[in-house]
Amino acid sequence: MNRYFYYCVTIVSMLNLMMFVPYLLIQDRYTGAISSMLLAALIGTTMAFLFTFVMKAFPGKGVPEIFAMYFPKWVTAPLMFFLGCMYFISASIVLNGFAVLINRFLNPDTSSIVVLSLLSLACVYGATRSTLTNIFIVEMGLILNVPLILMILFKSYRNSNLDWDAMLTIAQYWRNPPKLNSYAAAVYLFTGYSGYAIFNRLNPPNFRLRYRWLIPLVCCFIMVTSFFVPIGFHGTEAVASYLYVWSVTADSMTMEYGFLERVVFIFLLLYLNLSLVYTANVWHIAMEFFKSCLPKAKPQIDPERTPLSNWVIACILGLFTVVTSYLLDEKQDLRLATNWLILRVCVEVISVLFLFVLSIGAGGKKQST
Amino acid sequence: MLKRIESLFAESRDLTMHQLQNDEMSIEIAYIESLCDVSKVSDFILVPFTKQQQPFDEIVKVNPVYKPLDDPAKWTDTLLLGFVLIQVKGSIYKLDAARVIRNENPQTMVETVIMGPQIALSEDVIDSINIIRSRYPSPELATEERTVGTTSKTRVLLLYDKRSVDSNVLSMVRKRLERIMIPMITATGQLSRALGDRYTLFPTMIVTERPDRVCNSLQEGKIVLLLQGSMFAIIMPVTFYDFLSAVDDQFDSYWMTRTLLVLRYIAVLLTITLPALYVAIVSYNPELFRVQLTYSIAGSRAGVPYPSFIEVIIMLLMIEALVEASVRLPKYIGSTATTVGGLILGQAAQQAGLVSSIMIIVTSVVAISNFVIPINNMSMAIRFMKYPLIIMAIFFGIAGVTIGLFIYFVYLADLRSFGKPYFRIFSKTPSQSGDIGQVGQG
Repeated sequence: MNRYFYYCVTIVSMLNLMMFVPYLLIQDRYTGAISSMLLAALIGTTMAFLFTFVMKAFPGKGVPEIFAMYFPKWVTAPLMFFLGCMYFISASIVLNGFAVLINRFLNPDTSSIVVLSLLSLACVYGATRSTLTNIFIVEMGLILNVPLILMILFKSYRNSNLDWDAMLTIAQYWRNPPKLNSYAAAVYLFTGYSGYAIFNRLNPPNFRLRYRWLIPLVCCFIMVTSFFVPIGFHGTEAVASYLYVWSVTADSMTMEYGFLERVVFIFLLLYLNLSLVYTANVWHIAMEFFKSCLPKAKPQIDPERTPLSNWVIACILGLFTVVTSYLLDEKQDLRLATNWLILRVCVEVISVLFLFVLSIGAGGKKQST
Repeated sequence: MLKRIESLFAESRDLTMHQLQNDEMSIEIAYIESLCDVSKVSDFILVPFTKQQQPFDEIVKVNPVYKPLDDPAKWTDTLLLGFVLIQVKGSIYKLDAARVIRNENPQTMVETVIMGPQIALSEDVIDSINIIRSRYPSPELATEERTVGTTSKTRVLLLYDKRSVDSNVLSMVRKRLERIMIPMITATGQLSRALGDRYTLFPTMIVTERPDRVCNSLQEGKIVLLLQGSMFAIIMPVTFYDFLSAVDDQFDSYWMTRTLLVLRYIAVLLTITLPALYVAIVSYNPELFRVQLTYSIAGSRAGVPYPSFIEVIIMLLMIEALVEASVRLPKYIGSTATTVGGLILGQAAQQAGLVSSIMIIVTSVVAISNFVIPINNMSMAIRFMKYPLIIMAIFFGIAGVTIGLFIYFVYLADLRSFGKPYFRIFSKTPSQSGDIGQVGQG
């Protein structure tokens, strides 16, 4: 079932808009964003390929089970807890950002905390479902939303207000050396494979991943679009003044036929759907990581009854998100996201390389026996 | 025997018991007259017994229509199913003489098609099996019989194709059938509720009257339940797609049926979301639509003195009452109700300024789109789905509607019909390449 893997890849790279990735890249547009993107494409693809190798070496096993094979519980439990937190924070940043967006664009009268609580409730419900259900949610979410998003992207490229000269001007700065901030932002697009840290449990033993070249292709296309199209619309200078740069970009477009005129509404609703799907999924992954720390943890991919621990953990995650957003303002959110992205780069490199070494060991063992 | 039976039954006039005597022996017979075909009783018992061409105890032993019944505890149940009990020389035999009152040659009424078989299943399971077997002449077709309902003791037949059925699903169905502890089961809907459809928002079993749908499902490895006294069969496990595909899709023009399939999905989406979207757009985000459309909506709402959700509630209340009334009324008055309700009342309500004309359009689109769904029990389930969304729209506007839809999708993805995923595309995978999530089962 190759397609499920590519669903995960696509949804993460599409969600980059909510992780402030375009904003961070655009801040460095004269000072190394392009070279960072090139470097990110290279390293991100390599990481993804290494991880697919790990998946193949341990069919039907998630990362917690792989660690449990090699290390005692007191080593794995804190590690898994840490990884779970990493996943959890990303989804919370997305959800928090969206609550602000809804408050800005759709319901200015409703406070963003109330909206965030509602979003969290929906995502808690989604996250408590079984692993199998979660992968179906990704599938349905993408199939329903991506055609329309592609249509918006297509319209944006065909728009007469798109200034290709501005984009070319920025593209000339590719010689500047890459920067850590923009590298961390760009490489996030390539990390869709990380969902398979848990979803690998679903793969049947004879699973073979094909069409791997799709990973760099899809991700690079989305990366280039999300960086250059706003520059084309707002010009090389003004583009840096927006935090949620893509919402403003979508608002620069109009549709001439049909009921709706302003593209931003469709764009927001589609991304609301995608964010909900992403958050439910990532919280589910985080929840599974936390569950693997519990004593007597046993991974179940599709239990008939939802275990109570699911509800407890997911509710704590949801509550934590709401409380954090109450305490932090928007600037702190942005700083949190930036720092998270940089920390994530380190964690990604270390954990994927470590898993790769383990999987080489496993491959060797298999051949010897 | 007769005395014992008499003590088992409450006083009932139609319980008939006779002691017969001819030259050789005496026999005792007992049956419930109202349940039995009296001519059968005389053909199989009275005539051969009195003619004495052959000793009666030999006839009983040789002819397979007489089956021995040793357990006295089963006497009452057997009598109540329309059997005749015969005592010959100390041993007891039973003879099936049941007379079942049923509709003759029924036509499809609920799930109609233009071209295609017009005959429906019968209310008698034996006739239904006749209809199914003649369309599905395969030695692999297995039938199991059991009874459900502690009082009604309704006969249930379990049909499946032995070659293609999924054994996990089969054992799950058997287990759930055994667990049913309800006194009365008279309709297939009750059975499907008792099998686990009670609180689910969407049905996980198809209830159908069409033998061709039954046969197609059997061929796909699904399980069919037939209930004595009901002309509807239950098919399981099913997916969401099955509910939206009509039987015509398999034999009408290919491209048109594909288009109709897309149309049905759009209709389902419309009937669920449209009233909620109306509330959200009119009350929260009128800027969503292009200006001309916003003006015309606002203009048509100019005379309406209350917020949009009251308008929606009034109109939906009316349309639901109308649909309910046209089901309850006798057929001949039914059309009057729809004319009065739909045409006259709608027009008048709009002119009186109680509701806007756009709302009338919304209401009729909701009602019409709802009728597009081919399977009735799904149509009923979808009818309810719009109300939670309206509540979300009242409190959170268009974002609330989107979140509500997301929750529906999660719910659908989480639903399992007898352990099978309910809501996914391309669910048919070639068996050699493993499906996702097959690790746990294998």
